[in-house]
Amino acid sequence: MKKLLIAGALALSTATPGAAADCGEVSISEMDWASSIIVTHVSKFLMEQGYGCDVTVVPTTTEPAITSLAETGEPDIVTELWVAYTPVFYELKDQGKVVELADVLVDGGIEGWWIPAYLAKKRPELTTIEGIMADPEAVGGRFHDCPQGWGCDLTNLSNLQASGLLEAGIERFQHGSGETLAAAIAAAYENEEPWFGYYWAPTSVLGAYEMVPVDMGPHDPDAHECNTSGECPNPKMSSYPVATVLTTVTTTFADREPQIAELMRNVQFTNAQMQGLLSWQEANGASAEETAVQFLTTHQDVWSGWISSEARGKLSALLN
Amino acid sequence: MVHYQKLFERLGLSDWCGATDADAPMSMAQLMARAKGGGSVSEDGVPFPSLDVLHQACPAIGQTRDVTAGIEGGFLAIRGQLKFVLDPITQPLSWMLEGALAAVDVVPWWLMIPLLVALAWAVSRSRGTTAFVAAVILVFAVVDHYQPAMQTLAIVFVCTGISVILGVPVGILMSKSDTTQRMAIPVLDLLQTLPTFVYLIPLIFLFSVTEPKLYGIAIILYAIVPVIRLTDLGVRLVPEDVVEAADAFGMSGWQKLTRVELPLALPNIMAGVNQTIMMSLAMVVIASLVSAPGLGVLVLRGIRNLELGVGIVAGLGIVLLAVILDRVSKAALARVGRRRDDRSGP
Repeated sequence: MKKLLIAGALALSTATPGAAADCGEVSISEMDWASSIIVTHVSKFLMEQGYGCDVTVVPTTTEPAITSLAETGEPDIVTELWVAYTPVFYELKDQGKVVELADVLVDGGIEGWWIPAYLAKKRPELTTIEGIMADPEAVGGRFHDCPQGWGCDLTNLSNLQASGLLEAGIERFQHGSGETLAAAIAAAYENEEPWFGYYWAPTSVLGAYEMVPVDMGPHDPDAHECNTSGECPNPKMSSYPVATVLTTVTTTFADREPQIAELMRNVQFTNAQMQGLLSWQEANGASAEETAVQFLTTHQDVWSGWISSEARGKLSALLN
Repeated sequence: MVHYQKLFERLGLSDWCGATDADAPMSMAQLMARAKGGGSVSEDGVPFPSLDVLHQACPAIGQTRDVTAGIEGGFLAIRGQLKFVLDPITQPLSWMLEGALAAVDVVPWWLMIPLLVALAWAVSRSRGTTAFVAAVILVFAVVDHYQPAMQTLAIVFVCTGISVILGVPVGILMSKSDTTQRMAIPVLDLLQTLPTFVYLIPLIFLFSVTEPKLYGIAIILYAIVPVIRLTDLGVRLVPEDVVEAADAFGMSGWQKLTRVELPLALPNIMAGVNQTIMMSLAMVVIASLVSAPGLGVLVLRGIRNLELGVGIVAGLGIVLLAVILDRVSKAALARVGRRRDDRSGP
């Protein structure tokens, strides 16, 4: 009987050429920002072509993805999860529902306050809080803050209060959405106007428009925690910690497809690699999918180390 | 083999086409084909001769992304002139919105609530409706949603007011000329279907993102449509014999319009105003994506943080606002209808 089953499995695997016997259906998240789409498409390609999986891409964003993961155990793989803003993740991890595989952005995400490079070149002192305090009008007299409901909203407010920028005459402008925040940077760049506000990297916006970080001082974990809580009586200035950006899978998936879990454990990008890809995408007007292809065709040395020797055999046409 | 290459060779256009550029981004399909060992994309049938497909055969033909890049470049090139024209024209909208928002901030609640109730009474002359309005405002106040609700109301009032001021004359123009109507209808269709962010994000390149007029424009462009359509319809529905009678009395065009046509069209225009109010409320959440204050912000916060309660309460708040505005404007509409019936009675 057992023999028969094995024979059947063999017959099936030969009937669908290219499909490995042990990889079935996989669903992977695709967050709604550029770097995540690249990660997703690179992973999809490797899973499909290298391991013969049947991959479904689930377009989503952080909150819905983590909720879906908690309630339904889908999608199997969630990648580019900025965990600092999804504390629920650690609860799920403690409950044993999800497994943390890897830091998909090895260097971590960078959050902070930025001014455009042309402004920093003209007025280098504006890259410090003191410099901005001395002449708030030089940065436009305004701090572009993230929309209400984003994690950075409260943190920025505390830091603005602590730094004394608000008293110095900086007006805090809260955007309604991430789209207008990005458009504000682009519009300022087109007109070479001053700009000062919050953003994060690696993103296609910071890939396209060179921004210089404003020195927010050292990172103080206690002060930062208080700043993010929203009920901080005496906020103290603290820069953002390096954000952990994870690839996670459901526990059931890790048991079901250990090979794919192993692959996703290896899929990691440095910020330099990711920022380079995003700049390339912007310069060539390419889609995120084409950018994934660009990575796969130019960085074989990187991704050949991620995959199993069997998958390397299947993808040998690209590797040589 | 690239599709359609033969066609260009046959037409003698090879020289014009030029050499294939090797650094064009590779598509996922091409990469998959390469991974399978083959040199080119699998040939299942002839693809539609789209710009991208033709570009592969003839690099002189631009790709679709060149078209979109061209549109973007064109917009950025003329943005100086656009700003010069649009910025001053739309500036009063910013002032009005800022003024209205400041007013609801400054006026204390014990003055504001009676004022609104009195307004509801003045417009509707219905005890039931007025009591309902008072009850709803009190509910807002009790659950601490008074301030955002008033901000939303202020924005809706300003935008509806401007929509009526601009929309009624446009509707009258449309009703007077079939050509104008034929030209205007596609524009109105466009305004109601074009996704808001498609024109809002380019507007950020023209105005500062902090200007309230950004969301004012979004709301007005969407909400102005019903008042235009129904003014047009109302004036066109004025009975022919009434217009002839007015002509027979020797009325001038202006007299005819203000004394005969507009009064007879008023119920339709009021129905349009009612719809315009409803549509500006429908835009409240989208307006909050471009920094409009009010209940929309709470809805967005609820969605983003999965604070389901916050989202539901704010969402129901928008519904309640819609209901009171609808009831009050319907009551006003009924009053207009009654008055006309009285007058035309025996």
